[in-house]
Amino acid sequence: MPPSYRAINYGVRPAKAVERKMMGEAFRRLHPFQRIEEYRYVGFGSIYFADFQLVHCALGVEDMVSIEKDEEAEECFRFNKPYRSIDLRFGQSNRVLPELDWSKRTILWLDYDGKLDIPGLADIDTFCSRCTSGSMIIVSVNAQAESELTEEERKKIESETGEKFDASAHRLRQLVGLIGEKVPPGTQGADLRGKGVANIFRRVIQNQIEEQLIVRNSLLMPSEKFLYRQIFNFLYKDGAQMLTVGGMIFKVADQPLFEACAFDRLPFVKTGEHPYNIRVPCLTPREIRHLNSQLPCNDWKQLQAPGVPASDLEKFSEVYRYFPSFTEAPLS
Amino acid sequence: MADDTQHDPKRINAAPTKEFFIYMLTRDVQLSRAILDLVDNSVDGAQRLRGGGRYDGLWVRVEVSRDFFKVSDNCGGIPVERAREHAFRFGRPKEAKDTPGSVGLFGVGMKRTFFKLGRFFSVNSRCKTEAFTLSVDVDDWINAETNDGPDDWHFKFTTVDESLPEVPEEETGTIIEVTKLLSSVADSFHLESFQQQLVKELSAAHAVSVDRGLAITVNQLPLEHLPQKLFVSNELKPAYVEKIYPRQQIDGKEGEPVRVKLYAGIAERSYHDGGWYVFCNGRLILKADKTSVTTWGDPNGMRQYHADLAFFRGFAYFDSLHSVLLPWTTTKTGVDSDSPLYKVVQREMIELTKPVLTFLTELARQRDADNEGDWSDKRLETALATAQATRTEQITAQNLFTAPKPQPRPPGPKMQKIQYSKTMEEIEIAKARLNVKSLKEVGEKTFEYYMEYEGGE
Repeated sequence: MPPSYRAINYGVRPAKAVERKMMGEAFRRLHPFQRIEEYRYVGFGSIYFADFQLVHCALGVEDMVSIEKDEEAEECFRFNKPYRSIDLRFGQSNRVLPELDWSKRTILWLDYDGKLDIPGLADIDTFCSRCTSGSMIIVSVNAQAESELTEEERKKIESETGEKFDASAHRLRQLVGLIGEKVPPGTQGADLRGKGVANIFRRVIQNQIEEQLIVRNSLLMPSEKFLYRQIFNFLYKDGAQMLTVGGMIFKVADQPLFEACAFDRLPFVKTGEHPYNIRVPCLTPREIRHLNSQLPCNDWKQLQAPGVPASDLEKFSEVYRYFPSFTEAPLS
Repeated sequence: MADDTQHDPKRINAAPTKEFFIYMLTRDVQLSRAILDLVDNSVDGAQRLRGGGRYDGLWVRVEVSRDFFKVSDNCGGIPVERAREHAFRFGRPKEAKDTPGSVGLFGVGMKRTFFKLGRFFSVNSRCKTEAFTLSVDVDDWINAETNDGPDDWHFKFTTVDESLPEVPEEETGTIIEVTKLLSSVADSFHLESFQQQLVKELSAAHAVSVDRGLAITVNQLPLEHLPQKLFVSNELKPAYVEKIYPRQQIDGKEGEPVRVKLYAGIAERSYHDGGWYVFCNGRLILKADKTSVTTWGDPNGMRQYHADLAFFRGFAYFDSLHSVLLPWTTTKTGVDSDSPLYKVVQREMIELTKPVLTFLTELARQRDADNEGDWSDKRLETALATAQATRTEQITAQNLFTAPKPQPRPPGPKMQKIQYSKTMEEIEIAKARLNVKSLKEVGEKTFEYYMEYEGGE
């Protein structure tokens, strides 16, 4: 199988691009803690480094670490590294994260290709037990429900389990295979259909963060104890269903700083279990220009563009500020 | 007591019986562990005498046989006041004075051992200016009654003197003897395999004290000296961190903190010895742990312990003048994994372990590639081979685990080994025809010959 970055050009996944820009806007609000330029950004840049372009160009962050698991293609990554100050670290994030210096405020984006699994939860552990107050953690995972199995696959599972095939039991077994005993109590196979997987993954991530903070807090004075506040809960599809959750970790004493960030003023910020669905309508450049000229406006129903369905107008009004502009153009 | 119950109809008798106490105390401790508890008392004596200093000149002698059990030491003796008020109580009274940095702490060890072993025990103690002897027939004690009813829980000194002419330190000490051994105990004591197991367990449990010069023997045999070692070289360095946890944060009281030293690294490959070792005040309480109690397995987001990881060693030393702050269980056979202090330290242990496991996984991968005849980065193997086993206390620079990272495989086709057997006669013919000397060349040339004629498009 080719590596995922060859199968998909990350730069042109529109929903992902919108999500990235939205997060960039949230990062800007971190200034009550310190100047955003002085944050460190840790991410998985792949060969496109789209998130690094954002944090460096738009926010001025200079201290950047990109973790790359594909050690064999080191040269390729070095060649594609867009800025000198990106520190490229090769190896699984499980290995690299414990080796980083965590005394600096950090924005960590664990942008996994695959589903949530035990090594992913171990990365969360590392961050939560080490990060300083005012740091941010974001986790993206594939949350696609298991697809329908073919007759042949069902037969195979029946022979493995010695029981009649049961789709619910099968889904639950898959989940246990990924995250073992971290499956939330009461989870049923029926909870793992459609967007249910994302909801379960969000709970598991939240539980993991809280579990680690309880351990970390157990020997700390009340004002030194750490809190987690969720800020992001995005659902989007550029193909498979993806989930991005994340938030801030800060000391009780720093709560006023967190309040001063006023993340809740951002329309896409979601602090609870209900996600923000990123929906990107398919529009021509001409339609986009035409609609932009009518925005901002208080009521999307006022928007007009010949032949564009109302549902797309609504979607566009939500995301137009973050709308990606893809075009074919010679760059040389 | 019985009278009160009769007089007050609302009063319910909830007093324990001695039989229950003996039964409950003894059932969850292994025989050899019970003996370790008595040696712990001697080690505490040594600690009282010498503080943080060396134990040279101090000894503890354990003797086991079919007829008796005996442990004697020259470690200061048990003060009369201590014996009278605390040492023989069941449970440590609130007002009891701590031995700073002690290993005996719950006030159950000594009695539990007596009851576990036999039905008659004597204690003979000599301090600098006082001495006592005490003999107890356990069956008599169970049946003893006081004036106001059954259940007299007291013991009685046989002799006691609190104002003797002073003797030098080396003449102080304690002799404890247990006779009327339970038959299963007597049978075990008779077995050489049991004596051997006892030597091994004592060697491991008290490695730190033996290292400080305490001479412990079992039936005249000295303990094995087992210092904790890790591989060190310029390229390969174990992780080492020191942490201090203020007492205020642990139990909300003022006092000396808990000091924790953590080491994680590589040592001689041994499936059995690989894992984590946890010490509280120098006493080993968890040996070569391979479970989720330390760092292994899914609950910790880590791999299970595995043969490839048999080079791994982790050492965690918890030290405190207040032994109750340390995360050990009453039998000292494990950590109290619910202790908040332990949970916090366990997180540190996990983070220190991760890079070591990555190195070992990579090492295994390079070995596999080498076995298959493909290119492999030999620097990992070299780092392992050239490192020196170094005692943990000589490792003083705090840092994370350091080891060479494998180079990416250089470009070029992936190689694979082929193996097959042919008769020697045929091989000799091929050797002669090919005009080569080694078997490797025979293999290569015959393969090349085939590929030249048959391997084309």
